[in-house]
Amino acid sequence: MKLKKILSLTALVALLASCTHPTVPTDAQAESRLPRIFPDYTEVTIPCNISPMNFSVQEGASEVVARLSFPGGEYTYGEGQKVQIDEQEWQEILKASIEKSIKVEVYAKIGDTWKSYKPFNIYVAPDSIDSYISYRVIQPSYVAYEKLSINQLNLTNFDEREIYNNMSVSTEDMGQCINCHSYKNYKTDNMLFHMRQGFGGTMIVSNGELKKVDLKTAETLSAGVYPAWHPTANLIAFSTNKTGQSFHTKDANKIEVQDTESDLILYDVEKNEVRNIVELDDELEVFPTWTPDGKKLYFCSAHFEYHNDSIEKSAEMILRYKEVKYSLYSIDFDPKTKEFSNLQMVYDAASDSINASVSLPRVSPDGKHVLFAQGEYGCFHVWHNDADIYMLNTQTNKVKKLDAINSPRSESYPSWSSNGRWIMVASRRDDGNYTRPYIAYFDRQGKAHKPFLIPQKDPNFYTFFLRSFNRPEFMIEPVSITPQQFATKAKEDAVPAQ
Amino acid sequence: MKKNLKIQIKYIYLILFITAAYILLPVMNGDYLYTIQDNSVFIGGSTFMKDLMGREGGWLSWCSCYLTQFFYHPWLGSTILILLWSATFLMLVRAFRISSKWSFLALLPQLFFLFELLDYGYWLYYSKTIGWAFNHTLLFFFITLAATLLIGTLRPMNIFQKKVVARTMEGMSFVLMFVLGTWLLGSWKFFHHPSEFTITMSDANFKHEMRMYRALDEFRFDDVLNEYESIQETPTNLMVLYKNIALMHTGQMDKMFATGNCGIKPEPDDSIKLRTSQLGAPLIYYLFGHINYAYRWAFENSVQYRLSFRNLKMMAVCAIFNKDFDVAAKYLTMLKTSAYYRQWAFEHEAWMLNSTKFVQSKDYEIVTSVLNDQDNLLDGDDGLCQRYLLEFFSDLEHPNTPLLEDVCLCMSLWSKDYYTFALHFYDYVNKHPNRPIPELYQEGAILQRDAEESPIDLSGFMFDEIVNEKYKSFAIDYFNLQQRKFSPNEIAQQMKPRYGNTYWWYYYFYNDFEIY
Repeated sequence: MKLKKILSLTALVALLASCTHPTVPTDAQAESRLPRIFPDYTEVTIPCNISPMNFSVQEGASEVVARLSFPGGEYTYGEGQKVQIDEQEWQEILKASIEKSIKVEVYAKIGDTWKSYKPFNIYVAPDSIDSYISYRVIQPSYVAYEKLSINQLNLTNFDEREIYNNMSVSTEDMGQCINCHSYKNYKTDNMLFHMRQGFGGTMIVSNGELKKVDLKTAETLSAGVYPAWHPTANLIAFSTNKTGQSFHTKDANKIEVQDTESDLILYDVEKNEVRNIVELDDELEVFPTWTPDGKKLYFCSAHFEYHNDSIEKSAEMILRYKEVKYSLYSIDFDPKTKEFSNLQMVYDAASDSINASVSLPRVSPDGKHVLFAQGEYGCFHVWHNDADIYMLNTQTNKVKKLDAINSPRSESYPSWSSNGRWIMVASRRDDGNYTRPYIAYFDRQGKAHKPFLIPQKDPNFYTFFLRSFNRPEFMIEPVSITPQQFATKAKEDAVPAQ
Repeated sequence: MKKNLKIQIKYIYLILFITAAYILLPVMNGDYLYTIQDNSVFIGGSTFMKDLMGREGGWLSWCSCYLTQFFYHPWLGSTILILLWSATFLMLVRAFRISSKWSFLALLPQLFFLFELLDYGYWLYYSKTIGWAFNHTLLFFFITLAATLLIGTLRPMNIFQKKVVARTMEGMSFVLMFVLGTWLLGSWKFFHHPSEFTITMSDANFKHEMRMYRALDEFRFDDVLNEYESIQETPTNLMVLYKNIALMHTGQMDKMFATGNCGIKPEPDDSIKLRTSQLGAPLIYYLFGHINYAYRWAFENSVQYRLSFRNLKMMAVCAIFNKDFDVAAKYLTMLKTSAYYRQWAFEHEAWMLNSTKFVQSKDYEIVTSVLNDQDNLLDGDDGLCQRYLLEFFSDLEHPNTPLLEDVCLCMSLWSKDYYTFALHFYDYVNKHPNRPIPELYQEGAILQRDAEESPIDLSGFMFDEIVNEKYKSFAIDYFNLQQRKFSPNEIAQQMKPRYGNTYWWYYYFYNDFEIY
């Protein structure tokens, strides 16, 4: 009986403690600078439906308090070095702050002294963001891999679930690599991802029906690699690649991933047929992406001629890796006849005047802009510290660097939210090794704002998480096929494409 | 009196078991236990816990990882393990009412756990099971605890029921022992391959390797050499490599062949494909000044097998060398949550905050002594660290530190690369016209003098008289033994006492250099 009472009392105290808002210290010494917080949410613009922007204060403090003031109220938070915002209160804060800002004042107790820092704002945009993103969770490894999963995260409430986990079919002797998840028009009833090595094949969900296909044919270089769903027809453009990997002995970039050969193919999902799109000599074509009307396909291509017959192509590529520079191309497509025509160079990145290389183009939902990553050379910019996000205006054909989004470290894999107001990039800005999904507001004037790291319940999550968020993609709904259904299908033989 | 005796027998069994466990663990296998913790990891905070909870037996693995840390002090870790075993034994005896006389049966599971731990051997580098050292022990401990509590709760009050339950429990205990024993034996390699139960118990090289690695890791190069000297068996290739690294960093690389340079590839178990890349590549690359490759293999091994303190530390220190301070800080933050690497993490954090401290560090002194100034290269080692280093240094043009000059010469000799040795020797002699040429290099060069296709002309080079004479007698002895129709192996054995410490013996007779 006594024990019961003690337990009840303890539970009550714990419950009360969890609901308590800390008191703002009144005797704090003012610091003229912003507080050091992680993730850096100072002066960022956020969607009006994002989950709480939890952060930790990195001032070496024993206690912290953050006061969040918004139109019509204020709340305080702080536990140890963390500022974790109650989810219900956050909804209230967001609702009141649309098209306005949340003022954040941070106080930190260092030794016996409380310090207050320069307040900062979090601006709340009137635009919402797609509720889901998905990404591959992978160690930023060199050759080895073990556990890989494609996960989906609900951006409005931290809920993260696995779409597929390779360990469900991997064995001790035969691992399985999974990659290149892709969706048609941000929806998940038409989606795909690849599996390599064990139980290899491409998992394609077509109008909600799951099938496993082998896209390698006698005429193609490889199975499909980088995919792009046609927005209206049941077609998918893929690149086919012969890829190699090598390692820098000293360079900070550490790894190079190079294609010795690559082409583009078009896969007809209904007919299970593959045909070539572009297959030019001495050209390395890769990264197809459709315009929203489906009448144009953008892609990257590098002109590269092998000179040395005495060594293998891969060896020559390693020796001349810095010469490989990709430019941006487009080719028209007629969805009725399914014919391609009018190949054009859109942005001559490899030209002497620019002397750069572009990768991973993505067209905005209104078709007015194309985002891509640009670095000094090559196509695997996630390992290139100099890689940044650039944007092509399709009406003026002018390219500009999105300074607000970029950092001194690698930015790659840009993507647009379905309403075109949010740009997500895979960035290594935090530590140079682990890719994190950053989201930036893209306002109606075409200006990109400072990006923010996708919030997590525990703000220290990213510090201790030793995996990358690879290929972050927006979705407007979760994947409904369960991991078990994928695993069952994965064990079946792939149907060969024609 | 009789009852007291029975009680005593139970405790005597336990004391005997504890004594045996202490002898087999910290006394005989302290280095092994230290290496187990070095290859395990525990990170405080919710992320690590959440990651483990997402796996089968996650909670158990988390507890196991936490406890494995204490093998840093083998006696402490062993004591924790033995306490768990003892408690499990006592609970088993009590819960299943095993008579004192038969109580030794309740020690069988613990005995299996002990042998399982010792039997792991080289698997400790390859196992993907997180917290394996404590997993089974903890699982059995918790099951026994639950059973004890359950039986205690259900224990009936009247004598008849008591008797029925007691007999049932006794019966169950024997069934449990049988099932558990069969399962353990079935899953245990010893059952199928009795000869394999030799790794930790009697494979001296395995122990020497671990000791040499640790000494190398702590820059106790003299201890590496002493350990190598104490070896009775034919050393493994990895031990030879460790020895040569120690010679390199003590300025004695020209003693490479005089100290014995012939190793073997260990074949402990057909199911393990031993590779230097998993056993020691990160440290080996680091001590050869190949920071990117050291980082890479620490990373690869963490991905493919398990994250470990060893790899975290290596990744942190390599990141500091590369001035990747943000990622180094990440690894150091993790190490700060461990029981024994907290201080290490703070010391290394100080290197980032104060570059003078870094420049004055032993790591800096050692690594920069072999840091080549060659431009960045894009290449790969195909997982064969030793072959890569031999080729890299043999081919390295214009070594930029005095130590690197020695490394290049020795690596060319080690790989029997005539051509590159000749070039390095030529540079060396021209660079140091007044310096006495070490005997080893003269031994290599004298082969060049007589070679038909040498890139350099050594006909005018003045070899030391002692080298000249020794080479002449080597050639005569070799010729005579050949004339007497001895097999190459017999010639090698006959010439070994007199010439085994020369390069010539290595060059002509050591042909089993198997890189792994």
